[in-house]
Amino acid sequence: MKRYIAVGIVIVMLLSTLSVFTSCSSKKVETSSHEPITIEFWHNYDAGSGQVKVLEDLIKEFEAEHADIKVEHVYLEWEALKNNVVSGAATGTLPDVLRGDIAFIPQFQSLNVLEEMSSLSDYKDIVSGILEAPNSTARMGDKFYGIAANTNTKILFYNTKILNAANVEVPKTLDELWEAALKVSDSKTIGMVEPWTGIWNVGPYIWSEGGEVLSPDNSTAQGYINGPAAVKVIQKLADLYKSKALAGSSMDPGALGDADGWAAGTYALQLDGPWREKSNIDAGVGYGAIPLPAGSKGSISVLGGEDFMMFKSSDDAHKKAAWEFIKFMTGKHAQVEMAKVGQMPVNIEAFSDSEAIKAIPLLPVFSEALKSAKSRPVTANWSEMENIIATKVAEAITGKKEVQAALDEAAAEIDKLISESK
Amino acid sequence: MSMLKQRENSIRKIDWRIFIILIPGLLYIAAFTFYPMAKMLIMSFFNWKIGYQQVSNFVGLANYKNVLTDQIARRALLNTVAYAVVTVPLQIIFGLFVAVLINGIKKFSVSFRLAYYLPVITSWVVVALLFRYIFNNQGLLNYFLSDIIKVVNKPVGWLSTRWSALFAAMLLGIWKGVGWNMVIFLAALQSVPKEYYEAASIDGLNGRQQFFYITLPCIRGTILFALVMLCIGAFNTYTPIAVLTGGNPAHQTEVVLTWMYFQTFNAMGKMGYSAALSIIIASIIILTTVLIFITFARKKGD
Amino acid sequence: MKGEKRNIYVYIKGKYKIDIYMMTRYILLILGLIITVIPMFYMLVSSLKENRSTFSYPPKLFPSLKEMTLSNFEYVLVNENFFKYLANTIFVAFMTVFIAAIISTLLAYSFARFKFPGKNLLYSMIIAVMLIPGLAMIIPQFEMAVKFKLINNLWGVILFYSAWVTPFSTFLLKGYIEDNIPKELDEAIYIDGGSIFTVYRHVILPMASPAVAAVSILNFLFPFEELGWSQTILKSDEIRTLPVAITMFFQAHNRTDWGYVFAMTSLSMIPVIIFYLLLQKYFISGLSSGSIKG
Repeated sequence: MKRYIAVGIVIVMLLSTLSVFTSCSSKKVETSSHEPITIEFWHNYDAGSGQVKVLEDLIKEFEAEHADIKVEHVYLEWEALKNNVVSGAATGTLPDVLRGDIAFIPQFQSLNVLEEMSSLSDYKDIVSGILEAPNSTARMGDKFYGIAANTNTKILFYNTKILNAANVEVPKTLDELWEAALKVSDSKTIGMVEPWTGIWNVGPYIWSEGGEVLSPDNSTAQGYINGPAAVKVIQKLADLYKSKALAGSSMDPGALGDADGWAAGTYALQLDGPWREKSNIDAGVGYGAIPLPAGSKGSISVLGGEDFMMFKSSDDAHKKAAWEFIKFMTGKHAQVEMAKVGQMPVNIEAFSDSEAIKAIPLLPVFSEALKSAKSRPVTANWSEMENIIATKVAEAITGKKEVQAALDEAAAEIDKLISESK
Repeated sequence: MSMLKQRENSIRKIDWRIFIILIPGLLYIAAFTFYPMAKMLIMSFFNWKIGYQQVSNFVGLANYKNVLTDQIARRALLNTVAYAVVTVPLQIIFGLFVAVLINGIKKFSVSFRLAYYLPVITSWVVVALLFRYIFNNQGLLNYFLSDIIKVVNKPVGWLSTRWSALFAAMLLGIWKGVGWNMVIFLAALQSVPKEYYEAASIDGLNGRQQFFYITLPCIRGTILFALVMLCIGAFNTYTPIAVLTGGNPAHQTEVVLTWMYFQTFNAMGKMGYSAALSIIIASIIILTTVLIFITFARKKGD
Repeated sequence: MKGEKRNIYVYIKGKYKIDIYMMTRYILLILGLIITVIPMFYMLVSSLKENRSTFSYPPKLFPSLKEMTLSNFEYVLVNENFFKYLANTIFVAFMTVFIAAIISTLLAYSFARFKFPGKNLLYSMIIAVMLIPGLAMIIPQFEMAVKFKLINNLWGVILFYSAWVTPFSTFLLKGYIEDNIPKELDEAIYIDGGSIFTVYRHVILPMASPAVAAVSILNFLFPFEELGWSQTILKSDEIRTLPVAITMFFQAHNRTDWGYVFAMTSLSMIPVIIFYLLLQKYFISGLSSGSIKG
């Protein structure tokens, strides 16, 4: 009866060898010049809004133009995208191209996995056709580690029904914004929502009031994140939170998520990006939008969006193919197609394309806001710094700590991080 | 006697052959679990770098020191212990209670078993999402309390503060765990010899007395088993917190695994710290298990 | 609780006999049932509501027929590769069950019946696997998966899943074998000139089948539930399992199509319930083993 055991063992062994073979065939092993090169492309284009479908069509067009390149696209949810790069960095299994949040650039660069794109011979030519501000998110020092894929910034969305019912005018300044938020809040309505307390959320207010996060050379946070402008803004937000005119899941996990809250008609005002337009239309919410109301130092919003990145782990042939694909995706045609499903273009020609404007009616408002929008500090360890800030700001807003004390702690912790990483 | 002798002989004769059936399985487990465990132990002593061509340095116990002096890590440990202390006994009590009830009925027993087991076979992520929307400020529970039975006049912030959010997570843990406990206690109850109860009835013991003098002693092994398994589960809890609060507000509701996850992925690869944290939590689990065994073994001796 | 002899009966109109104890049991069970089932019911109801009205206030446990729609199910079944994901998950589940069953019966048999050097150490190492948080090992395990070329491959989840579930299965099966299979049966085989393989095939496997069924239910459930690892390993659309596929509805900027999530989850519970119902009669008897009783 050894047979059965033997059979069992053999089956297991066969299965595992089989799996090795199948995985080999699915992985890039083709290197000869006759066979097409397959590049792996990770992204998080929304499946629900049809972006993945558009991407697939674009890939078909690209492959028709470039017979020697095949593109294998992999959708990964935002969090998974980042986690997969972390675990991929540990083992060298990274894609050839990645389209990910601009905030990933300093994070991934700290893992030393990103290919320096500005060393490519025609990088400058390509970049000249792209909006400068969004592309600055890929710059660290004087080198570029990516290229803008699409951009966005935050503008003020308001629920017209709630504002009308409370007889509140659309705010023109930050002070009016705080007032409006207070005025519309009641037991069923909450004036403002900020889903997180990082610089992505509080940065625009701080900047518009003349504050800063880090010193210009990113060497210290002392006197910046705990400076008077930042303290004033966070104090204001803490007051709003206390009077139940501000909600957000990182301050109060029991608060409705922003998308769900807008759909339910709970939230009146939010500084948010182009996706809010789409989800409001989907949910049938009556809304309007204007650039961020000005503070004492103007209206300075925050730059968002995604960049294309390439990785050191690819070989030269794959890097070359990857760059071809990136050029295609930042070209006017692909950018307009993506604009039709809600991705704000970075290509200068596409930005003024009539079809793109038709697809994103708020494009003029965003383009106004983009003129003065600012990128978050692009520095190593930025994600850890922003985590520190988010934690301390949440503690301050929820009243766990005095605002000044919380921000002082944030500055001290950030400076400690900076000195440790030197 | 001769039988026994013969068996011993036969076992001795074929002794080497058991390795044929033992080794493949052992190798398999070793490859897929022992190796990563060993690697993790090594990582915990290094300033482990995962980046391209980055060098990791040996740092001795620094990671452990960082964990133990980190305020958030300590709070996470405390939250985890609180979660275990509340959910484990309550799961056992409710599970046993339901099992006793189901064991005593004649009709619909299979239907009840399936219905109580449903939460066990539903994905953690989904049930956690459901609980999040039940305990939301504007969720089902608040609606029920404020608009239907009107015992509160404004929504209760269940998920808004540390302990009430942990309370919701504990409820979720208990709710999802009762079915599993019910099944293993049913198994245990059915293996208690019926003669014991018959004898007890004749001696005039009532239902409650029978439960405490016959049932409980007979299933104490199962209770021990459940206790150990549930402690392991409670210390490894991740999804309820990750989905209900995400550790918010300001890391107040973090448990060990959510904090470890945050350190591994959000803080960009603090691998050494995470490894040290998991070694610490594993030691706590092993210690708890040993303690439970010692306590029960002593009682058994009495 | 066999206290029937002393049960109290209430006679209604001298005709119908109602057992008060029995009544109380049913009432308590039904109360518990309501608490247990409300969230599940809420899920089902939400899957029948339009995406946009999933969380409108006030929340409704019993929406009117007008508000209900099958469009979420339609979307999931038509626009998504639901059946592909389901087939993948079921394949992974069956292979996990199969591999874990073979390995854990072999291990349990060796540990239950034989003495050999290092036995206790090996056994406690296997048990220790259950104690370590799996999440912590994700990086080293990922390294292995890369070495064995298991990335983006269903076998990458199957092999790891079976390794993870084997310790617990071994633990339960070892107890069952020690407790419920008399050694005399082994001896009978030896006397007939059989080997340990004969014993495994003709005594252990058939006699332990209820316990194997019981652990298989637990193991079958695993791929329907596990997310962290499968999300790391499975990248292409055609090899996604259901838990990974569901995350496709969690989109950027906190937007989630709840209706689709709940529809897909409700659907993915069907195979698990069927599997449970098929094997449930072994479930209780298979679990009544020595390891559980201590």
